[in-house]
Amino acid sequence: MYGYVRPAKGELKVREYELFRGVYCGLCHELARRYGFLSRFLVNYDFTFLAMLLADGTGKQTCPRRCPVHPLRPVRCLGSCSSLSTAADMTVVLGWWKIADSAADTAGAKALAWKLAKFALRRAYQKAAARQSAFAHSVEDNLARLHRLEAERCPSVDETADTFALILRSVAEGEPDRDRRRVLEELLYHLGRIVYILDAADDLAEDTRSGAYNPLRYRFDAGEGKLSAEDEHTLRAGLQLSHNALAGAFALLGENDYSGILSNTVYLGLPAAAQAVFAGTWNKPATLQRERRDL
Amino acid sequence: MNDPYSVLGVSPQATDEEVKRAYRDLARKYHPDNYHDNPLADLASEKMKEINEAYDTITKSREQGGGYSSYGYGGGAAYQTQSGPRQSTAGSNAQYVQIRNLINANNLSQAAAMLNAIPTHDAEWYYLMGSVYWRKGWMDQAGQFFRTAATMEPGNIEYRNAVQYMNQGGQAYRPAGAGDMMGGDMACNMCQNLICADCCCEMMGGNLIPCLGCR
Repeated sequence: MYGYVRPAKGELKVREYELFRGVYCGLCHELARRYGFLSRFLVNYDFTFLAMLLADGTGKQTCPRRCPVHPLRPVRCLGSCSSLSTAADMTVVLGWWKIADSAADTAGAKALAWKLAKFALRRAYQKAAARQSAFAHSVEDNLARLHRLEAERCPSVDETADTFALILRSVAEGEPDRDRRRVLEELLYHLGRIVYILDAADDLAEDTRSGAYNPLRYRFDAGEGKLSAEDEHTLRAGLQLSHNALAGAFALLGENDYSGILSNTVYLGLPAAAQAVFAGTWNKPATLQRERRDL
Repeated sequence: MNDPYSVLGVSPQATDEEVKRAYRDLARKYHPDNYHDNPLADLASEKMKEINEAYDTITKSREQGGGYSSYGYGGGAAYQTQSGPRQSTAGSNAQYVQIRNLINANNLSQAAAMLNAIPTHDAEWYYLMGSVYWRKGWMDQAGQFFRTAATMEPGNIEYRNAVQYMNQGGQAYRPAGAGDMMGGDMACNMCQNLICADCCCEMMGGNLIPCLGCR
């Protein structure tokens, strides 16, 4: 997905870092177990965060397991549990739609590669969408709405961000406790907004060069693909307000095994990602590759 | 009621000072100022009440007849928020009063429908439209409407406060050392304002910084 939602690694305790690795690798194993080898390529930080956020109980154990990336030295993985399964289902649903998008948006040899990936994962998608039908409908509807807004060159950051925010919000739909669901929905809505807006800010220069749609191009006067100091302040103040809402909801969520990692992600990881995006040092592929190597 | 010590997250053997510190930290976290105009304000206020009750129970049982009884926020609900966009009914016509009530009751679609049916848009119309977007979580549009309201009626304190609140990135609980989304300038400004205000307060015989954390 995007990769903005992750802990600031240097600030994690060693114990927390190992647990975080365990959840990430656990999600990857869960994907393989439920959807086959190919779906492993969809594993990402955002849904690792969601798996930890949705976890309710405590005392989950990790156990050493081998995988193609770690064939000799086994790594500790979190064993299968309901929040990990849900996160795996949703990873496949959203991942498949993003591949479908890429297949439709690109041209040439790349498009062929995306189409092959889409074809290869279609069974996995059908299975995952049947298991998480409310989430799958939300993704389908909101992505369709996003495409309409893109075609209209919508100048509202809020309205375009609303599509992705609602997708993340629907992750909480299965939560049976009403108050907990309200808290999760508020948290996830603003998380989705922040992720969408950070991605738009990160892509602004590239989109301006290529002429692709980006809500910030129509909301602000971003002539050279860069926001003026005043506009950047306005945008970041808005992000801060969403982050306040997110943090307010997070404070109302009960503790679980992962509270330390989640708190790090909310209070340090997300601000660090925003800092990097606005400093122009985020550089997704390189950063992601480096992080992958570390895990 | 839950065990008051577990509510505050301290052991029954904790010193008075430790209990007080735990209470202050939690009160800072669930303070109504962090949840004003927030859809989860009711849950935060419940939490605040629980914390106040736990603290009262502990102090009363520890100091029977002692001078501790006046501590606490009075249940949170009675606490007046001090900044930011919020709904008052001063100087509004009947229709606007009704819309403000709808917004306060979180009935946003009806509030928006009523606003859209009004043909002439004065400053208050823009302010209320901004409030609808604010509640919805559409912060950018809320800011644009608040700014229009404040430009049309520069003397109005309610509109000006809303714009200022948005520009400084609002208010929220953050643990020590936490980052923010604004590149540090927000934290600096807020500290400067606080320290300034604290100095003024102290000259008049008060002390603002502890007031903000806890009385």
